[in-house]
Amino acid sequence: MKAIDCAALSIRQINESIRRLIEAGAREIVVRNPGARHNLAVAILTDVAITIDGPVGYYAGGMSDGVQLTIHGSAGWGVAECLMSGTVVVDGNAGNGAAASIRGGTVVVRGDAAARAGVSMKGGLLVIGGGCGYMTGFMMQRGRIIVCGDAGDALADSMYEGVVYVGGEITALGSDAVVSEASAAELAEIHTTLARHGLNGPAAFRKVVSGRKLWNYDKKDMETWKAAF
Amino acid sequence: MCGIAGFFAKSDARNAPAGATLLRMLTALSCRGPDSAGIALWGRGDDGLTVRVKLGDGGDLEARRREVLRRARRATRVRASTTQGSLLRLVVTKTEPAELAAAIESVAPDVEVVSMGQRLEIVKQVGAPGGLDAEFAVSTWTGTHGLGHTRLSTESRVDLSHSQPFWAHGMPDLAVVHNGHICNYHRLRRIYEQEGVRFYTENDSEIIGLYLSRQLAHGRTLGEALRASVRDLDGSFSYLAATADALGFAKDPFSLKPLIVAESDGAVAIANEEVALQAALGGRYQAREAAAGATGLWEIGGPVSARRGRRARRVA
Repeated sequence: MKAIDCAALSIRQINESIRRLIEAGAREIVVRNPGARHNLAVAILTDVAITIDGPVGYYAGGMSDGVQLTIHGSAGWGVAECLMSGTVVVDGNAGNGAAASIRGGTVVVRGDAAARAGVSMKGGLLVIGGGCGYMTGFMMQRGRIIVCGDAGDALADSMYEGVVYVGGEITALGSDAVVSEASAAELAEIHTTLARHGLNGPAAFRKVVSGRKLWNYDKKDMETWKAAF
Repeated sequence: MCGIAGFFAKSDARNAPAGATLLRMLTALSCRGPDSAGIALWGRGDDGLTVRVKLGDGGDLEARRREVLRRARRATRVRASTTQGSLLRLVVTKTEPAELAAAIESVAPDVEVVSMGQRLEIVKQVGAPGGLDAEFAVSTWTGTHGLGHTRLSTESRVDLSHSQPFWAHGMPDLAVVHNGHICNYHRLRRIYEQEGVRFYTENDSEIIGLYLSRQLAHGRTLGEALRASVRDLDGSFSYLAATADALGFAKDPFSLKPLIVAESDGAVAIANEEVALQAALGGRYQAREAAAGATGLWEIGGPVSARRGRRARRVA
């Protein structure tokens, strides 16, 4: 296992150090004293285990493909943004836009995720051990979000496809988001997923999907659109 | 962008090292705003008023200082006066705040009372946070709580008056720091101006303090005023406001600007990047992004309360 101490390094130097260790064949890297700085461990395109030992700022692990990233602390905005594959685990809470636009892989936030978690997801899995904030799953197009706690206002607003499972209360559904029945097989899959990441969810989950009413323009809305434009 | 920071010592100790803490927080946030920096601190205070006066945008500041002092002495008893940079600091016997400010500001249009309060003092200047320590030795300041700001100017000019924190002119001890834009600023400003309120800048953030001071003047608590502001102010905002007794925050209903709240056993630290919380509290806290539309308030000697946005309700 290789270690990097961030204390005396710039963000660019930290990321270059990570890259150099990977090129030299390292498969386990520990990043110490991250100090909640931004853009740590971004664009990692290798199946490598990186542990960040403390809180991170914005966009940690973003634009990565195949990374196994664990953050022992909280994360700022846009953690694991645009993840293609791999796993990003946040031990604490996450800021706005966790797992925004991910296309694949798994993002786990053990604590709470703030507003717009999983916004515009195009695949992959977002697991939230606590609750999630305003407009979680906004415009998601594919993939799954599992929320063990309560969901904030405008949940899954304008989602195209994909599914959001909520174990707690839902403040309010977003536009064209509808609650449907989760099958026994889906519930079993949820609990298997939670167990894999050492999380305990409630027994029951509600399933939120697209009502598909926004997929097409409705002729009746023509006048509204004319006025808007 | 703009960096905003707040620090609140739960112990009610007026000798808490709030100045040094806020300076560390601002230094950590300085990449969010290189234009100007400022700190508001609620210190020991006394039964009089401490007044910080901007002597002018240039010219013969010594002549200005003499004239400000002369007019202040006509309004009240001046117990102490010192000058640091372009700021004059006066300690005066308590008097009607509006009359004292009017007397001082009658000297010239570019003379401005930057802060006034029994415990509040604001220092601010163009440039990086380090300048605050070099000129005002803020790292030695003590107090129960304070606010800090580093500014990235987007729409109004860069000078001392347009820098933050903003004192809520006319309301002693009330100050605000803001990150974001207030989109209904011009509409509110027209209404306020018709009612005789003077604006000192073209900076939209100035309206927040004026809004809050009007709410407080109508008998509302700071907590009630913060909650009302989430509805009445339009735009993107994370802002912090404090009086001699309390420090609070408000966040816009779309959560367009970051604001991270952390509490340790002894203190509350709030900032729009966690690097500043690290600088304030080290490692012993849990960081949480404030919810969309949320407000929070901590009162000296009062119960600690933080309010989330809307309460959850079952929909199916």
